[in-house]
Amino acid sequence: MMNLTIKNLTKYYNKQCVLSIDAFTIERSSFLGIIGPNGAGKSTLVKMLAGLETPSSGEILYEKSLISPPIYKSMTMVFQKPYLLRTSVFNNIAYPLKIRKLNPKAIDKKVNHLIVEMGIESIKNQNAWTLSGGEAQKVALARAIIFEPALLILDEPTANIDPASILTMEKTINKFYQQSAPSIIIVTHNIQQAKRLCKEIAFMHQGKIVEFGKSSDMIHHPSNPLTKNFIEGEIIL
Amino acid sequence: MEAILDGFKKAIELLFSLDAEIYHIILLSIFVSLASTLISTLFAVPIGIIVGTKNFPLKRLVVRFIYTMMSLPPVIVGLVVFLFIARRGPFGYLGIVFTPTAMIIAQIILVTPIITGIVYNGTKEKGEEIKRLAKTLGANRLETLFLLIKELRINIFTGIVSGYGRAISEVGAVMIVGGNIRGHTRVMTTAIAMLRNQGDYAMAIAIGLVLLFLSFIINSLLYNFQQGD
Amino acid sequence: MFFKKSKALSITVFMLILMLIFVGCSQPQEAAAPEAPAEETVSEENTTPEIENKTLLLSTTTSTENSGLLDAILPVFTRDTGIEVMVVAVGTGQALQMGRDGDADVLLVHAKASEEDFVAEGHGIERFEVMYNDFVLLGPLDDPADVAANAPNDILEALKLVYENEANFVSRGDDSGTHKMELSLWDELDLAPSGSWYAEAGQSMGAVLQMTDELLGYTLTDRATYLSMRTDLDLKIVTEGDNKLFNQYGIIAVNPDKNDKINAPAADLFIQWMLSDKGQQLIGEFGKDTFGDSLFIPNAK
Repeated sequence: MMNLTIKNLTKYYNKQCVLSIDAFTIERSSFLGIIGPNGAGKSTLVKMLAGLETPSSGEILYEKSLISPPIYKSMTMVFQKPYLLRTSVFNNIAYPLKIRKLNPKAIDKKVNHLIVEMGIESIKNQNAWTLSGGEAQKVALARAIIFEPALLILDEPTANIDPASILTMEKTINKFYQQSAPSIIIVTHNIQQAKRLCKEIAFMHQGKIVEFGKSSDMIHHPSNPLTKNFIEGEIIL
Repeated sequence: MEAILDGFKKAIELLFSLDAEIYHIILLSIFVSLASTLISTLFAVPIGIIVGTKNFPLKRLVVRFIYTMMSLPPVIVGLVVFLFIARRGPFGYLGIVFTPTAMIIAQIILVTPIITGIVYNGTKEKGEEIKRLAKTLGANRLETLFLLIKELRINIFTGIVSGYGRAISEVGAVMIVGGNIRGHTRVMTTAIAMLRNQGDYAMAIAIGLVLLFLSFIINSLLYNFQQGD
Repeated sequence: MFFKKSKALSITVFMLILMLIFVGCSQPQEAAAPEAPAEETVSEENTTPEIENKTLLLSTTTSTENSGLLDAILPVFTRDTGIEVMVVAVGTGQALQMGRDGDADVLLVHAKASEEDFVAEGHGIERFEVMYNDFVLLGPLDDPADVAANAPNDILEALKLVYENEANFVSRGDDSGTHKMELSLWDELDLAPSGSWYAEAGQSMGAVLQMTDELLGYTLTDRATYLSMRTDLDLKIVTEGDNKLFNQYGIIAVNPDKNDKINAPAADLFIQWMLSDKGQQLIGEFGKDTFGDSLFIPNAK
């Protein structure tokens, strides 16, 4: 539901260029997968999109405006290693609604509904710090989508978690996409996951987007040799 | 050795003696230490969190300063505070020398760096992550601060307990600025120092045991309070 | 139990010696140089070679220490005999307690009755009178109770004035010799001072003088401590010279039967030296340079 326009974006760490994108647009309600080898600049890009890093030069426009508090209110990001609050699972998921000043009844209803949908009722009252990796990541996802953000950024959300949890996560993400039509950007190492979830894929290499296209086209007929190498390698592995 | 055994007996007698002077000493100790710890907390928690999460010029110097202040000798603090509030000092006109107020001020100076340092340490470790989360979930500045306090509550609690422990057990500062005046500024530690000077070891040990016992009770209360969150 | 205590004592002494060494090392040009030849002369001229233990633990009152007397005479004793004196300055009560526990070799205190009890109970060998000083009543410069005008030589009358005017008074309140002296005077007056004007500090003489100065009050002090601090105080003597204000110092060797760490030979030597013409002369001279008057009057028999 939010479109993003990247213009002449660069990021330098200690005078070394880690990211350089001349122009790139993410349309409303797109579901974009970002793939590429380690060090390609994927994480740097999504952190900048999430407003957690400032560009060295260039700009990112969210529906034609620069980042601002109201924009922060309608987007979010899920990290590979999520930070859960030192409180119950329920309170973790309810937190974004609490700061959006929803009334307690509405919060209760919404959170419980999502908890049931994701099949995590059994841990609802558990302290979030005692959860396993897969459970923790599900809670982090629930906490991210509970307030129906217009832009959802996922940075390798299913790395190092069990297959069953991956399945639940993908189902939940998909359902959220179908119901609310947000813009979703997911960084993933898993080509199959990108194929399952995304409508478009961008392949990054050495800080640049070297190829971009519909996901099935990209995976089956990559035009760039770098992309081809990467995808074949990932599939064999 | 007999003094220690005698001390145990006397400690029990003291607690049940209903002696007004002893109770005054005990209550004043608790009051002064709790007041200074509470006021220190109000300064120390925000400072610790800000230093832990923000980058600014000379930050390393500030951190080193806080760490150094954590091990300030109480006598030095007492002496400096005394020189400020003494009759000839710049704040002599306040007339607070040898009063509980002076004791609280000296202890605030001792305790604030301890709580600040401990809160800073916790914030340094987790603060960045918490702030990042708050940002991605759309929290404003105030909500972020509250979230930091809530998430770092164990560090804050540890800081408060350590600060209180320092306050209730120190003797150098309260002796100098309070003067150990009987029925007015005499607290448990200054009473112990005085009794030692008088060679009444058993009574000194007895008050020491009462002090230990009270610290245990207050720490338990704080602990329960923190657990019940 | 004695064993444990004396072990603790020897550890303490050991640490003290270590600290002295450190102090010596940190000031090589000042401290270390004169020390070494002093040791040599001692070993040549040592008149008492039979004493093996060269350290003596003297327990005395803070007022003695504060006066600076010990700093003036102890180095001479060390030069004469080769014995280092470690001074532990505490209240009279604790000084006597250290003697009872066998944690000191010799005591120099000023509470005659307690000292006599101490010897009578077998904790000490014999009590010798060595010197006396006198107490004075100090008051603020404006003397709000008009003590100096009405009772310059009458301590009872002076205290009565303070009591009646409820002028600030700081009491040692620490069971020290000075405190006992003050209490006996109130007793004689049949008065029981209390109230916000009467502050019981429970601290050393030096600290009490500072407090009295801060509170613009009156206090009873030994002349020696007052003279050594008077430049920093806005206090003056309002009453002095009353016979009741004389303060006799006694010196007692701790009974060596208490434990085998007590250095009785050195204690005896120290007492002999303090009572000798030389010791007595040094005591009498102390303070004349700085204060223009003796702080202690020697009176060994």
